[in-house]
Amino acid sequence: MGACFHCGESVPEGVSFVASVAGQRHPVCCLGCAAAAEWISSLGLQDYYRLRDTPAARASAVVDYSAWERPQLQRMYVHHRADGSAEVSLLLEGIRCAACSWLLERALTPMAGVREVAVNVPGKRVRIVWQPGQIALQAVLGAVAQLGYVPHPLNRESLDDVAGREQRTALKRLVVAGLGMMQAMMFAIILYAGSLEGIEPAARDFFRWIGLLVTLPVIAYSAQPFFAGAMRELRARRPGMDTPVALALALVFIASAIETLRGGAHVYFDSASMFVFLLLGGRFLEMRARHNSADVVDALARLQPAIAERRTSDGRLESVGVHELEIGDKVVVADGAIVPADGELTSVGCRVDESLLSGESKPLLRRQGERLVAGSVLLDGPAEIRVERVGSDTTLSAIVRLVGRAQQQRPRWTRYGDRAASFFVSALLLAASCTAAIWLFIDPSRAFASSLSVLVVACPCAFALAVPAALARAVAVLAQRGVLVLTSNAIENLVRVGHFVFDKTGTLTQRQLELESIRTFTEVGEQQCLDLAARLEAGSTHPIAAALRAAANPSPEGIALDIGSVRGCGVQADIERRRYRLGTPAFATPGLPDDGSVVLACEGRLLARFTLREALRSDAAALVSALQAEGASIQILSGDSPDRVASVAARLGVADFAARLNPEQKLAHLAAQRRAGKLVAVIGDGVNDAPALAGADLAVAIGSGADLAQSSADIVLAGDRLGGLVEARQIAVSTLRIMRQNLLWSFVYNALCIPLAAAGWVPPWLAAIGMSLSSIAVIANSLRIGRGRARAPVSVTDAPNVLKAVTA
Amino acid sequence: MNIIFALIPLSLILVALALWAFFWGVNHAQFDDLDTPALIPLSDDSAPPPLPTDAPKP
Repeated sequence: MGACFHCGESVPEGVSFVASVAGQRHPVCCLGCAAAAEWISSLGLQDYYRLRDTPAARASAVVDYSAWERPQLQRMYVHHRADGSAEVSLLLEGIRCAACSWLLERALTPMAGVREVAVNVPGKRVRIVWQPGQIALQAVLGAVAQLGYVPHPLNRESLDDVAGREQRTALKRLVVAGLGMMQAMMFAIILYAGSLEGIEPAARDFFRWIGLLVTLPVIAYSAQPFFAGAMRELRARRPGMDTPVALALALVFIASAIETLRGGAHVYFDSASMFVFLLLGGRFLEMRARHNSADVVDALARLQPAIAERRTSDGRLESVGVHELEIGDKVVVADGAIVPADGELTSVGCRVDESLLSGESKPLLRRQGERLVAGSVLLDGPAEIRVERVGSDTTLSAIVRLVGRAQQQRPRWTRYGDRAASFFVSALLLAASCTAAIWLFIDPSRAFASSLSVLVVACPCAFALAVPAALARAVAVLAQRGVLVLTSNAIENLVRVGHFVFDKTGTLTQRQLELESIRTFTEVGEQQCLDLAARLEAGSTHPIAAALRAAANPSPEGIALDIGSVRGCGVQADIERRRYRLGTPAFATPGLPDDGSVVLACEGRLLARFTLREALRSDAAALVSALQAEGASIQILSGDSPDRVASVAARLGVADFAARLNPEQKLAHLAAQRRAGKLVAVIGDGVNDAPALAGADLAVAIGSGADLAQSSADIVLAGDRLGGLVEARQIAVSTLRIMRQNLLWSFVYNALCIPLAAAGWVPPWLAAIGMSLSSIAVIANSLRIGRGRARAPVSVTDAPNVLKAVTA
Repeated sequence: MNIIFALIPLSLILVALALWAFFWGVNHAQFDDLDTPALIPLSDDSAPPPLPTDAPKP
């Protein structure tokens, strides 16, 4: 019978669990504690047991995560990747600084089966990739919980809840600190006036006790996050932002309380509560900004409805949770409802609004057999779909995941920033002790105030926030405009790129054809020929048919009868008792040489020759000229035939192009440009340009729906809008500028203020204001990114949608 | 002057009451969304128009 080594509770009779920590065997009360102790020890963090002053929570009190092994749940949250590994996004409660990210990465990465751990501190998220055969999700979640964080696999409900709770708590803490600060200042003014005018010691002590009373809730309740953070940093042995804050607060409050007790010279209750209030104010703003950046992901995730109407085998409808849907289920979507899963339309055609998914603002017509995408809104229903992809495999989930991944990849230079901040804090603690030591020699009465000021004034918050605040804002602003930034260095590279390589098909051009010219050979006029052709092609979905129909009158008179198509050649039909043929020259009028045009013939007599060309994307020309105006060079590399590439290049005003290239040749072209010292961006449609995209410094994919999910690009133009690239470049330029301003500002501020504070010229309350203002300045400066420019026509967070959501 | 020893504790009690009221408000979702309520008066329709359905109207 003894105390448990981990949690300190008594070990029950007959229980013989043992944990070996640092080679020694210790009795523990349960398997949970044994696992926790051995695990912490295996990480080399057994000093925790020496440093801690209260026993840990009983590990078995940790939530059981075995429910996450159920396939029904995993489907909602886990993405299975093509190489057999699985991926999950967790929202973590309790993350505060770069040290947390360090601890999580250090603790989880060595676990067998865990492939990748990416922590996003501002977003409080971690993305974990693991090998399902080697480690179970519940083990990963358990490990995170053992570190002291509460993991929430990301779904709609848990995300809302956590953000809401965090905001409420933060608001309460802020208001308690604010009220406490006002009260403490009021009594401090009485004391200052009293020390000038003369005050009875009894009255002075009364006001000091009142000051202590109003500061107590500020320290005990409002400042709690700083103390908890400092404890965590101490355990991780990595001083971060919270350590100097907590140290300064504890020093000020304890010193003032002692002075109150023994009737000493000075109390600093006003400084303490003001420090807490201003710091919390800065954190509150940062939290609001962070929640706003998460809004885009939220808004996308919220598109997925929770309940679907499934048709049972006997034809009835039953309401089931969306996560219960299986592939092959038949689901009925009501008019105006949101499509719950990706699936094939089995009822007759309908119109859908995919604007929130792709930015395409026009309603899209979907015919029977085509695919509806989860998250799109059905405009004229009801419709029935056969489910093809569910849960985290849907296109919607893929988009959400892409954005989330983008926000989690921290650029290399943020990591340098973290390391620098850690070094800076250590140096700061040293400087504060030196200040105290020197003043003890010169004037002991000023030692405390001066070292306190050094500690407070140089809190590295502004320093650590400079880069992440600007990046988070830029990613959020770009996402609102349909530009998804997926990799860490994309924003920096977007500014530096000097050479843009475009793929032709599907990138500069649409997948549609348009009519270039008609040549008629008889008395039958151009428009009449077009109308005849449109009638022949009435039912066809072929691109040529669509182009001819688009050029003809909306509803040509007369009906084509007995339409028959000959695969690879064309169609033939009877119109007004005459046999018409439309198709390749050889098919329409035997003996005519094939020149790539489409020929209309009546009873074997040549009527007209249609020349078709690819339709350019509407914003392609504008993009090319905008990039050229900025001094970038443009090149078109295509696998298509030289004459078509030349035609597109001529229409866009691009002189530099190469045709009929295979992927290796494209890569060779890229390599040549890079050897010439240029950073190269490749713009392709993501799937068929994969090798070229992989070989570029900056890969930009354009596409929508399913194509997006497979892209390995740095930037995705989600709205099928090429023009987004120009906007993105402008925003990237301003992001880098603001980042530099932030870093410069925090450096200048610290370099100026630390010597002043050490010299004793900055009283603690002024230091508190200066420190908080420096952080607020950095955040406010970052929020300028993306201001004052027109928004994309369809934005996920624009006011009408918010209104719709509120009033619905 | 001695009245101050009664009035200051009284003021602190009022502050505590105000805090209690504020906590009540926060816990009852009064402060959860500070942005959208400002937009609601700007919309003309207090409720979205009913969605057209194929169901026969009574």
